[in-house]
Amino acid sequence: MTKICSNQYAMNSPHAQKLSDDQSQKLYWACLEILEHTGVRMYEQEALDLLKKAGAVVTDGNRVRIPSGLVEKAFSTVPKSVTLCDRNGNPAIRAGGYRSYFGTGSDCLHILDHRTGEYRDSVLQDIVEGITLCDALEHIDFAMCMFLPSDVQQDIADRYQMEAMLNNTTKPVIFVTTEFSGAVDAVKMAEIVAGGERELKQNPFTACYINVTTGLRHNKEALQKLLYLSDKGIPLTYIPSAQGGVTAPVTVAATMAVNNAGVLAGLVLSQLKREGAPYIFPGWGGNMLDMKTTVQPYCDPEKRAQAIDFAHYLGMPSFSLAGCSESKLVDQQAAAEAALSLFTDALFGGNLVHDVGYLESGLCGSLPQLVICDEILSWLEAFMKGVDVSDESLALDIIDEVGPDGQHINSDHTLKNYKKRWYPQLFERASYNVWQRKGSKDLGQRATEHVDTILAEHKVEPLPKDVANAVHAIVEKPTA
Amino acid sequence: MADFQNIIDTLIEGDQEKLLSLAQSALDEGISAKEILEKGLMAGMDIVGEKMEAEDMFIPEVLMCARAMTAVINNLLKPLLAAGDVSAAGKVIIGTVKGDLHDIGKNLVAMMLESAGFEVYNLGADILPDKYVEEIKDKNADILCMSALLTTTMPMMKVTIDAVSEAGLRDQVKVMIGGAPVSQDFAEQIGADGYASDAGSAIRLAKEIMKR
Ligand code: B1M
Repeated sequence: MTKICSNQYAMNSPHAQKLSDDQSQKLYWACLEILEHTGVRMYEQEALDLLKKAGAVVTDGNRVRIPSGLVEKAFSTVPKSVTLCDRNGNPAIRAGGYRSYFGTGSDCLHILDHRTGEYRDSVLQDIVEGITLCDALEHIDFAMCMFLPSDVQQDIADRYQMEAMLNNTTKPVIFVTTEFSGAVDAVKMAEIVAGGERELKQNPFTACYINVTTGLRHNKEALQKLLYLSDKGIPLTYIPSAQGGVTAPVTVAATMAVNNAGVLAGLVLSQLKREGAPYIFPGWGGNMLDMKTTVQPYCDPEKRAQAIDFAHYLGMPSFSLAGCSESKLVDQQAAAEAALSLFTDALFGGNLVHDVGYLESGLCGSLPQLVICDEILSWLEAFMKGVDVSDESLALDIIDEVGPDGQHINSDHTLKNYKKRWYPQLFERASYNVWQRKGSKDLGQRATEHVDTILAEHKVEPLPKDVANAVHAIVEKPTA
Repeated sequence: MADFQNIIDTLIEGDQEKLLSLAQSALDEGISAKEILEKGLMAGMDIVGEKMEAEDMFIPEVLMCARAMTAVINNLLKPLLAAGDVSAAGKVIIGTVKGDLHDIGKNLVAMMLESAGFEVYNLGADILPDKYVEEIKDKNADILCMSALLTTTMPMMKVTIDAVSEAGLRDQVKVMIGGAPVSQDFAEQIGADGYASDAGSAIRLAKEIMKR
């Protein structure tokens, strides 16, 4: 039988947009005007030289005005999607378009110890356990170090973080370092694991997260990292962090314009250094300072979504932030903020979504909170699937066969299809009595037990001994 | 009897024009500049400080109140006050330590200290120990405030304190520190005189330290 049916259109998933394309275009033009008219300061000579040679105007030592043409040109050479591999070189993440991948954040000072409930400074073992958890959790796609190790030599703490990530997960890792030398060492370690410089460039399993003072002030370390990594062909994020009301005007649009002017300046530089260098845009925009508490809120509703829209408009991959909370505890606020923020980023199609499991506005982390986020992501994955309205899924023949009086529970159709529906792992659905029999535990308690189970059972694929030793040698002899 | 309550309320509203005219009327009634300053303006700013810490007021409002107060002092009271009546609460050198570019919190603390009547010299971020030493000498400072937001730059606080001691200035200047990773324990460890977790407590601590 021929099965032809014209004009069929299926929504494959829910979808949302906050900025219209016209608004994005206006924002883009604003960024170009800032770059041409106001200019940005760059505290690194090589960056100034590259830009000057390409036609930018440098005044006052380091104030650069960048013509729009350079930005347009950069868009013609930068890749529109970034593939990150796993530690073994197999493609794992294709960041671009509307595909979303989720991962942890970096550098929390504190941990809510899931064993004792204590709030304390984090140590290296917390990173080991956190990354092991990332390796095991199905919906965590990449890892960032999560914690600061207070028990190691502080000026090389980032080397310990990188080593712990490489040893404890095969998933892609994104590193953060304070100094430029830390980034050089992180790349060295990654090259050892990949089997060489060319191998890492071809199949990068790591990317670097770079922060920049504001869109209009580009600090030396950020520029050094940008140029070095672009030359190496290693993916990077370049994220200026002006705060509305303090280092930028308080409106969302103005803060975004200032920061994204800086993102475009970084893009130009990366492509001047090496055409085709992978470059990732920020996926949040319009940071503010909370004018009552002086906290920079991570889960602020007004900074969400529009930067993802803007990256889509420009056809660039984005690095956004969700699954984070201002709460000091793994409590109702933490769950609500994590769920809302993960939901928005999935709905808008942020690509690399980090900071999953953050509490206290980026200062504290919790392993049970990460596990709860994994459950939320599992829910979202099910929600984001489109609905199959096909002849087969409509099952009219079975509806007719069973009729108004029959049962479906024991039908072949049910047997064949019931497992395709979503089942929670941690969210409790059982009746009151059954829940009571199981110990009357709340979500936090169940998540805590789940952490213990994973840490007891999960075995991470180890690095070959000689590779692990070579990686450790870098920690022992860091670049000065 | 002067209506200090009206001055206080107007200050808290941050209404500069009205505050100027109320202060002018009080002066016209023969009330001394010193009394207006102490019972009106300072009393009002104390309440503003409390409201800020109770999250009852937004930072821009606090700064507006401070601006209104400064306008009254500079335009009306200063010529009438005896030397000493309006001397600064203390001289403060403030900066973010070497290697650290986080300056948002530090700048807030600087502005708040200024609103509380301190004479503040804000050096900026990424400040070398020698620069602090030079400025302490140059400005004859009472308090040194250092900020660090990175665990990797916290040790620079100790290095800076050592440099201040070596320059023979440690007895002249009290040292206060702050920033997200910094704690009371750390302050004691490195021999600082105090630690403040936020701008409000930084002001309280600075006032208290000046009395020590
Ligand atoms: C007596 O003197 C006193 C008294 C009280 C004092 C005081 C001094 N100073 C402060 N206080 C106190 O009063 C203030 C007002 O109430 C308070 O000040 P705060 O500064 O705490 O509060 C401000 C009003 C608002 N808060 C802030 O401004 C800080 C917010 C967070 C998100 C933050 C920001 C904004 C930035 N950052 Co950075 N940053 C983070 C921060 C996470 C967090 N939640 O704190 C933190 C501190 N950063 C971190 C990192 C990793 C980094 N940052 C970096 C860069 C930046 C930006 C430039 C992008 C930007 C700063 C912009 C600027 N002009 O300051 C890099 C380092 C650059 C450098 N060399 O300094 C970089 C290394 C990232 C990178 N690789 O690019 C993490 C810490 C790492 C560590 N080792 O400790 C971090 C905890 C975020 C995280 N979880 O990853 C109190 O602490």
